[in-house]
Amino acid sequence: MKLEMLGAVIRKDLVLFFKNRFFAVITVFALFGYAVIYYLLPSQIDETLEIGIFAPAIASALAAPLEEEGVVLEEYASEAALKEAVTQGDVPVGVQFPKDLLALVAGGERPTVDVYLSADLPQEFRDLYPVLVEEWVALMAGNSMTVEFNEQILGVDRAGSLIPTRDRMLPLLAVFILMVEVLGLASLISEEITTGTIRALLITPLSTEGLFTAKGIFGVGFAFAQVTLLMLVTGGLIKQPTLILLILFVGAIMVTGIAFLIASASKDMMSVMWKGMLALLILIIPAMNVLLPGLTTDWIKAIPSFYLVDAVHQVINFDASWSAVWSNVLILAAFAAAFLALGVLALRRQFR
Amino acid sequence: MPTNAIVADHLTYQYGDLLAVDHIDFQVAEREIFAFLGPNGAGKSTTINMLTGQLKPKDGVATVLGMDVADDPNKVQAKIGVCFEISNLYEQLTANDNLILFARLFGVKDFDPEVLIGRVGLDGRGDELVETYSKGMKQRLMVARALVNRPEVIFLDEPTEGLDPQSSLAIRKVILEERERGATIFLTTHDMTEADKLSDRVAFIDKGQIAAIDTPHNLKQQYGKRLLRAEVSDGDGKLREREIELDQPQTAAEVERLFEQEQVITVHTEEATLEDIFIQITGRALD
Repeated sequence: MKLEMLGAVIRKDLVLFFKNRFFAVITVFALFGYAVIYYLLPSQIDETLEIGIFAPAIASALAAPLEEEGVVLEEYASEAALKEAVTQGDVPVGVQFPKDLLALVAGGERPTVDVYLSADLPQEFRDLYPVLVEEWVALMAGNSMTVEFNEQILGVDRAGSLIPTRDRMLPLLAVFILMVEVLGLASLISEEITTGTIRALLITPLSTEGLFTAKGIFGVGFAFAQVTLLMLVTGGLIKQPTLILLILFVGAIMVTGIAFLIASASKDMMSVMWKGMLALLILIIPAMNVLLPGLTTDWIKAIPSFYLVDAVHQVINFDASWSAVWSNVLILAAFAAAFLALGVLALRRQFR
Repeated sequence: MPTNAIVADHLTYQYGDLLAVDHIDFQVAEREIFAFLGPNGAGKSTTINMLTGQLKPKDGVATVLGMDVADDPNKVQAKIGVCFEISNLYEQLTANDNLILFARLFGVKDFDPEVLIGRVGLDGRGDELVETYSKGMKQRLMVARALVNRPEVIFLDEPTEGLDPQSSLAIRKVILEERERGATIFLTTHDMTEADKLSDRVAFIDKGQIAAIDTPHNLKQQYGKRLLRAEVSDGDGKLREREIELDQPQTAAEVERLFEQEQVITVHTEEATLEDIFIQITGRALD
């Protein structure tokens, strides 16, 4: 197998990939658009709790107990202004205290405090705020709590350095970029089978193994180059670049195998698109889980991209080392080898 | 004694229960133009696919340039050129880029695509995308692609089917030039006139078996009859047709008698076509 032969096929695939306007556009969009989206998202998480209040005459007394708790009070001039602020989403919650709150509490009475909650506030927060307000009033009145709290942070204390949404999105963007390449490569191969150009290639000294090698180099190289570029422009390679590149390289091998499989089962670009989109929907589930951690369930570990996404997330966002992610990388490599082998077998049947 | 460029020895291929090629034997000498004739589905393309290493025979041996094709197809493929029946060019690339790609795959150094482009009559069109070409232009480019490695054996599968006369003529001219260069040509077609004009020998294949194999002249001698047809006037202005079989012992006497006794208006000779002979041998016409 001569390098010149491989080079000729790879060069041809690269030209044909960009001759397809659809894939040319989405490739450019994926590279630049995702980078733009990344930089448009905030780079830090606001860890303060904002509460709107309407409390004539006692605002300063209200603020005192919360000064060190990371709560920011936003004072409004009237009940109507407070309600408007909550309705508009300026503050998630608004509390209206009666003018003579402290006197009523001191007299042993139970004054009424109005709590206005934003309509899109989750149920757990709706339940939490009244409790918070009750504790707040008790502290203000000088009443001590019935229990002492002993807070212990388990794991890395990320107070003050929570992971911004855009960094949680990076594994998702990486999967998207890799899948765009899957669609392009699968479409390219399926078209070659349909139009018979594969037959023309294989009637030359280029062997079937040589053809697979060329397609594999193109697929892995193209996917890896794109995702590396994305990581480069978003700063994803700042921490442990070698480890991140290794994970992405194995991921690129896996998606190339998936592209081979999709190509072997498709007859045209539309067929590639719907099968590719189905694969994409499944493969992004683990990335969505990183974005919205509450979704965690064990079954997502059955999705091959979990090991790619989790490893990238651990290294980029938690500075995890090889010892923390080696099992992920090995499982990912096993999936990559399996998909590549299955893809080659399926395509070889098609070539015959 | 000429050596054989192609040898089919009991070559057999089966698709499921269908015996597409049934233990066929033939040889093609070096520098020979050999036409493989038969209707659609007779086994022509399957035979080409076995001879070019695209299909592995179920039985028998295909030898090209002294090499068993099934043993090392890539080694054989380096020395042959194949023009497929259906266009399979890279339509989004230019004609020149198509040829350059294949020249690189064959390891051809200092390749100039314009030379081949000119030979097939596409001068000045090499930089155009193939998708803008007509069917005839694409077919000519397919023939050019089959020649990038200066092959010793060229397989042409229905190279002129459905083409305009200009494209057919250009392809026939290239076939004859390639033979002059020293190449062996294996041609499948169901255009009997083309086979008659171009080939040194023809083989009829029907239902996977070789029905006859010889030079067009010998086949006509063996299976066809040459005739002399004359139009004669019967005296009252009406014309009648007279027919005399040639190459017979009594032919000369009959011709002499015709001119003595009849008022001959026109006369011409006629010989059997390969199509007539195919029908005579196989009992059915070409599709």
